[in-house]
Amino acid sequence: MEFAAFAARAEAIEETEADHATTVLVAALLADADGDLETVVRFLLGRVFPAHETRTLDVGPALCREAIAKAAGPNVDTADVEDRLADRGEIGAVAASYDFGGQRGLAAFGAGNGTHADGDVDGSGPTVADVDGTLRSIAAAAGDGSEGTKLDTLFGLFNRIDPPAAKILARLVLGEMRLGVGEGTVRDAIAEAFLATDAATPSDAGASGTDGDGRREDAGQDDENGEPVLTATDEDVAAVERALQVTNDYGRVAAIARDRGRPGLADQRLVVGRPVQAMLAQAGTAADALAEWDRAAVETKFDGARVQVHYAPSSPTSPGSTASTASAVDATDGIGPKLYSRNMDDVTAALPEVVELVASRVDVPVILDGEVVAVDEDGDPLPFQEVLRRFRRKHDVDRMREEVDLRFHAFDCLHAGGEDLLEAPLETRHDRLREVVPDLAATLTIADDVETIETIERRALDAGHEGIMLKNPDSPYTPGDRGKNWLKRKPDVETLDLVVTGGEWGEGRRASLFGTFEVSVRVDRAGDGEEAVHADRRFEPVGKVATGITDERLASLTDQFEPLVRSEEGTTVTFDPAVVFEVGYEEIQRSPTYGSGYALRFPRFVGVREDKDVTDADTLERLERLADAQ
Amino acid sequence: MFKAIVSASTLQDALESVSVLVDECKIRLNEEELAIRAVDPANVGMVDLSLEAAAFESYEADGGVIGVNLARLQDIAGMANSGDLVHLELDEETRKLHIEIDGLSYTLALIDPDSIRQEPDIPELDLPAEIVLEGAQIDRGITAADMVSDHIRLRVDEAAEAFSIEAEGDTDDVDLNLERDDLIDLTAGPADSLFSLDYLKDMNKAIPKDAEVVVELGEEFPVKLHYSFAEGMGNVTFMLAPRIQSE
Repeated sequence: MEFAAFAARAEAIEETEADHATTVLVAALLADADGDLETVVRFLLGRVFPAHETRTLDVGPALCREAIAKAAGPNVDTADVEDRLADRGEIGAVAASYDFGGQRGLAAFGAGNGTHADGDVDGSGPTVADVDGTLRSIAAAAGDGSEGTKLDTLFGLFNRIDPPAAKILARLVLGEMRLGVGEGTVRDAIAEAFLATDAATPSDAGASGTDGDGRREDAGQDDENGEPVLTATDEDVAAVERALQVTNDYGRVAAIARDRGRPGLADQRLVVGRPVQAMLAQAGTAADALAEWDRAAVETKFDGARVQVHYAPSSPTSPGSTASTASAVDATDGIGPKLYSRNMDDVTAALPEVVELVASRVDVPVILDGEVVAVDEDGDPLPFQEVLRRFRRKHDVDRMREEVDLRFHAFDCLHAGGEDLLEAPLETRHDRLREVVPDLAATLTIADDVETIETIERRALDAGHEGIMLKNPDSPYTPGDRGKNWLKRKPDVETLDLVVTGGEWGEGRRASLFGTFEVSVRVDRAGDGEEAVHADRRFEPVGKVATGITDERLASLTDQFEPLVRSEEGTTVTFDPAVVFEVGYEEIQRSPTYGSGYALRFPRFVGVREDKDVTDADTLERLERLADAQ
Repeated sequence: MFKAIVSASTLQDALESVSVLVDECKIRLNEEELAIRAVDPANVGMVDLSLEAAAFESYEADGGVIGVNLARLQDIAGMANSGDLVHLELDEETRKLHIEIDGLSYTLALIDPDSIRQEPDIPELDLPAEIVLEGAQIDRGITAADMVSDHIRLRVDEAAEAFSIEAEGDTDDVDLNLERDDLIDLTAGPADSLFSLDYLKDMNKAIPKDAEVVVELGEEFPVKLHYSFAEGMGNVTFMLAPRIQSE
């Protein structure tokens, strides 16, 4: 395919706003791409290399602008290009605003070399494959003089194309296609272009996610809204999605879908050494989790950096043994340990102790998901910024290793001993994880009530971690998916400023400290006289806070509250209302337990509002309003 | 097999003429000569260099090809004083080039020649005009042109029997006019082409100021610049594709 033809179709796609119409255009482009299919798919996503490769084009905006200036001549310099960029706001539009091609190539005179396989005669532009090959050669250029080579190569490419193609090329070089084509669109288009006919069987028709017909003949037709009808079924899309998750390579998946259909896609497996996207979490509440799953897998949320570990030991069984255990092992014999960041950058060199740890603990091929956390001398977690000091380090790794201690917590196992586990339930995967790395596996607790979840959270927070994750114990591992199966326990939606009206002495170790505090809203008696309000200001409790208060904090709070004790009965005390706590919560519920008629769900101590007087505390009226608004 | 001894200045001159266009190249170690052909990544400018065996103090080669990073090789050659001799020897087994200069020995890792861009074709263009002049005159014209513009027009006035180097900037213009008497030789013919100054500047860097340069020129055609060095035993031809003249 000529690059100019690709550019023209990309432009048509950019001009289409409706989602279905975009998918149909992309599908048609893929269907016409023939031998260039993989490249076309990558180009649409603004990539030269598949996502799992750590190679990148590495052309910065400055180099791109310089190449444009050189191709745009005569007497256009980088400053002129920058002026236009400021004016037009986008590099593609700038590239398209010049007339390139002023510099003729040697090939037009029978000279030069045959690198441009199409002959590079003036007027005939490069093909998609030419552009791909040239961009790859730019990526490969390294060492002395390579900047000049990159510039000249890019200039040579711009010099051979017309303005519409220049627009697309400039965007591609900088990885910003702006076509309105996301990964989801490409996924749907792959299914539409290459799988839709598979679905057009009577048995599948009923399962169609489109119009219950799912026949190919509908392609190109419009529904009553003028939107084209997509014919790929949900199953088609799911087959593509699954293959994308395990291969992390859109171009390859497109080619497999075309050449081998759904069976070919189903054959795709994880490969040790080829990173996949990390599964992501969304925010959610403990109540949501339990309502949805009945029970939740709870684990510590570490304040660190996500790391995917790929490792295939060269001797898969015990040392000295030459027997290999499975054919899949042979295929990945002796890889890594390799460590990849969430963005699939190779961070192996920066984290040598994790590499050593994995190498010393693991004796079967694995792909693990986990978190690297910086810790202090006592092993307590340090803030995320400390991990970052290590994470992208290329130089002085050894020195930084001395300065920042790391812990690796593995929490998921995607592959073990030749077996892909993506589709296995979380509980099963975690069992395998514990088998593979017993002492690196993070604790996973299955809970079916909020109290247990709350206890685990309190423990995690006390230990200095960020909080907890709630996961569906039966869910598969879905790379790149920010689905509902993993929840970061939602930070409290809002906080209330509440008056501390009572407390309880702690137990055991904390017997001499106040362990929990009763917090109350202010109840103004409207209509009473000013004086009466002062005389009879009342407070009504809405809950007790205990979570998230460290021993140190409790000690200082005890000092602060002891003088305020009004009465004491057993371990329960009442305080003169004088101190205001900021309290977080998940929800406000109606409750007969407390005098206010409400109770806070998951109340959490955030801090003491030293700046606030009890008269500034939140009122029952506000609480009622918030409850109604939920 | 390759083993040679060459004066530092000859080696430096040879390398300079190629490195102005590319940062890696293949070197052909033919029995009778050392030869390099290379084209810049944009396929706009190229160089053809040969250095006869006689230009070396001693030269033994059997037709191999090596790939080198020119900047590195130039750095090493730059360690020599002008009178020094440079000893070069290829280690076939390790594929490394051993270089010795006055007690300094350096082992240069070579590049796989297959990973280097294909060598360019050099056609006979049969260009109608030929101008012979000194390197210093070209340098003067290019230096002046560079003050006002990023491109340069090379033209022969057949009637006036003159060669001119002209540059047109956004505001200022430059014109260096050289008549037959100013030139070493002139074969007048229809010749008028526009070139990128970027490339010509680079080529000019390599051309010795005292060299006799043969410029072959046509209408909207590439220019060829030819000169000798190392007492006539080294030969360089540059070829540069034209820009389209907008008027």
